[in-house]
Amino acid sequence: MVDSEIQEPNIIAENVQVRYTVNTNDPSQRATGLRRLSNAVAGRAGQTTVRALRGVNFVAREGEMVGIVGANGSGKSTFLRNVAGVEQPDRGRILVRYQPLLLGVSAALQPALSGSENVRLGCLAMGLSPEEAEDAFDYVVELSALGAAIHRPMGTYSSGMGARLRFAIALAARPKIMLIDEALSTGDATFAERSERAMDELLAEAGTVLLVNHAAKVIQELCTRAVWMHRGEILMNGPAEAVAEKYRWWAWNVAKGKEDIADKLLADVMSNAVKEEINILEPELIKNPIPRHAARPSKKKAARARHVKRQDTVVVEETPTPMLAAAEEQVWPKTFDAEMPKAKFPSLPKPASQAVSAPRITDSPPLRLNPRKSRVVLRAANPNDRASSVAAADDFTGRRLASRARKIADERYEERQRLRQEDETSAVHQDSNR
Amino acid sequence: MSEAKNPLGLSSIPSVSSEGLVPVGRRTSLSSYLAALWNRRHFIIAESRAKMSSSTRKNLLGYGWLFLNPLLSVLAYWFVFGFILQTSRGIDNFVGFLVIGVFVFGYTGKCMTGGTGSIRSGASMIKGFQFPRAALPISTVVRNFLDFMPTLLVMVIVLAVVPPLEVITWRVILVIPVIVLQTFFNVGLACLLARLGHKIPDLTNFMSIVSRFWLYGSGVFFSIEDRLGSHPALLEAMQYNPMHAYLTLVRNSLLYGVDSDPKMWIVGAVWAFGLLIVGFLFFWRGEENYGRL
Repeated sequence: MVDSEIQEPNIIAENVQVRYTVNTNDPSQRATGLRRLSNAVAGRAGQTTVRALRGVNFVAREGEMVGIVGANGSGKSTFLRNVAGVEQPDRGRILVRYQPLLLGVSAALQPALSGSENVRLGCLAMGLSPEEAEDAFDYVVELSALGAAIHRPMGTYSSGMGARLRFAIALAARPKIMLIDEALSTGDATFAERSERAMDELLAEAGTVLLVNHAAKVIQELCTRAVWMHRGEILMNGPAEAVAEKYRWWAWNVAKGKEDIADKLLADVMSNAVKEEINILEPELIKNPIPRHAARPSKKKAARARHVKRQDTVVVEETPTPMLAAAEEQVWPKTFDAEMPKAKFPSLPKPASQAVSAPRITDSPPLRLNPRKSRVVLRAANPNDRASSVAAADDFTGRRLASRARKIADERYEERQRLRQEDETSAVHQDSNR
Repeated sequence: MSEAKNPLGLSSIPSVSSEGLVPVGRRTSLSSYLAALWNRRHFIIAESRAKMSSSTRKNLLGYGWLFLNPLLSVLAYWFVFGFILQTSRGIDNFVGFLVIGVFVFGYTGKCMTGGTGSIRSGASMIKGFQFPRAALPISTVVRNFLDFMPTLLVMVIVLAVVPPLEVITWRVILVIPVIVLQTFFNVGLACLLARLGHKIPDLTNFMSIVSRFWLYGSGVFFSIEDRLGSHPALLEAMQYNPMHAYLTLVRNSLLYGVDSDPKMWIVGAVWAFGLLIVGFLFFWRGEENYGRL
């Protein structure tokens, strides 16, 4: 964790609150009087306000993969939507370094079009130019591993195939920040492996991934950190292993109907929960901590005391102080030669809420998915039918770029494989012991 | 996370620098918004073409319907008005008059209804990607424009072939600026209605009625100069109806081969640019709200 503190933050969420006004037919929520009449006209029973997020403070840094666990309706997806900028929170704010890419269950692809046409459409939707979309085509076909099915209409795909294509399209833009909302659970084992590798690369290039998944096992394996959300608040925030383990134990007890144990666990976690706060240091305040109005020399001179204005001489009657026996008489200098140091304004950066000269970002630069626009993507031999040639060649390793990012990704991958094998062997041991 | 305590025994709040970070999903300034929109021009075109082809691909004839549909409607109008009713009512070449009216008005009418529902129908895209939301109403207009092009072609061919033949003059070229003006008008209208339609979902029901009223008020089936002769005040007001201006301009240049009243051009241009600016600014001001449905 100490290591991660040095990394630059990619996402900062400060006191994010979201509430929705939704229809309800709960009899206890029924309105009275005129409201009820208008509800009857509109054909609804009543309305209620749901607090989806109740003040979430959250920081995600470069190279972090943060898992978000929590029961259904705990605000995980709402949080991701807000981080993606699709919605604006009612209170609080979310700062990001790059435009996050939300990979949800629904995406903007046309079911009547073929997979390859959708690849192009999806790439253009993410803001790639037509040339870049052409270049990214190989990568998408390779990653999705759909084979000849890439030429078929997307409406004919199975849900797993559709999810694979969407995930591959999303990665084609090489986003730095990716928000994944339970999209990986639909793919099969080979795709899971491939997508994990793709995400490792993204993390190695100082990206950030937020992953929502119900399977605590997935969080444990993939993530570096995990967050447990409950009723729109962050209950726990810590290493993935510990948080996911606790969540899994709680969820298991709930599922088994052991509510007393589950409640006890939850109460224990909640009592230990620290409502995290973040102090966001504004760059302008760091550079110039003195507010502009304070730094400005005041035009008005400070009003002088009345006797100074009148230039009266005030005669102060000197009364000789009785000397203590031990005290020696000291000769005090009449004037100081050295100039007294002026009192300085405390150069502590203020929190944003109190900042007087908080920078108002009137024209923020448009957010991009990644810092650079040019990407290195190799083309296949036959430009006419690259989809099938790439799928048939099946030689993915040969085209892999030998970069540092690639190396880190490989290391992460091997480490995970090793851990998995250890798990398996220990499980086998336990079985044989029984 | 364990409570971090500093030497004084107070829990310390972790500080993060927000240097280089930007609030997400905020409305950007108009210039960068326009730049972002310009960067997505390929997407807008690809999206409207994809929608068009996915709607035609289900049919056996595919793209053929783009031409067949207007051709058959011309036939129907000719049969009813030209053959059965034989209505001329003091209008030269009534069938041509009618065909131009129906098609040119249909372009704006479709943009109107499509624009009203554009945010709602693009909800999955809004939730999936971050892009300037104005791309949605604009792509509705682009799609209808692509639909309108073959219609216009059919219209010109039919007018040139079917008797009574009209005089073809150089003024045929003037159709192009009129269509451009009408397209600007449609973009502004679609943007304006997209935000209103997002705020008030009931507007979709209302729009079909407004569209019909506008259809009759713009002189598609009859010449409003003849009909409203007894109400000069109403006639004067109708002169400022933008659709009436566009219809008259197209008819004059395509059908009758005469010069149009410059007042018509002014009315058309003012409406086009005025609504484009007003509608676009209105849509842009609501940019942050469209994610919530």
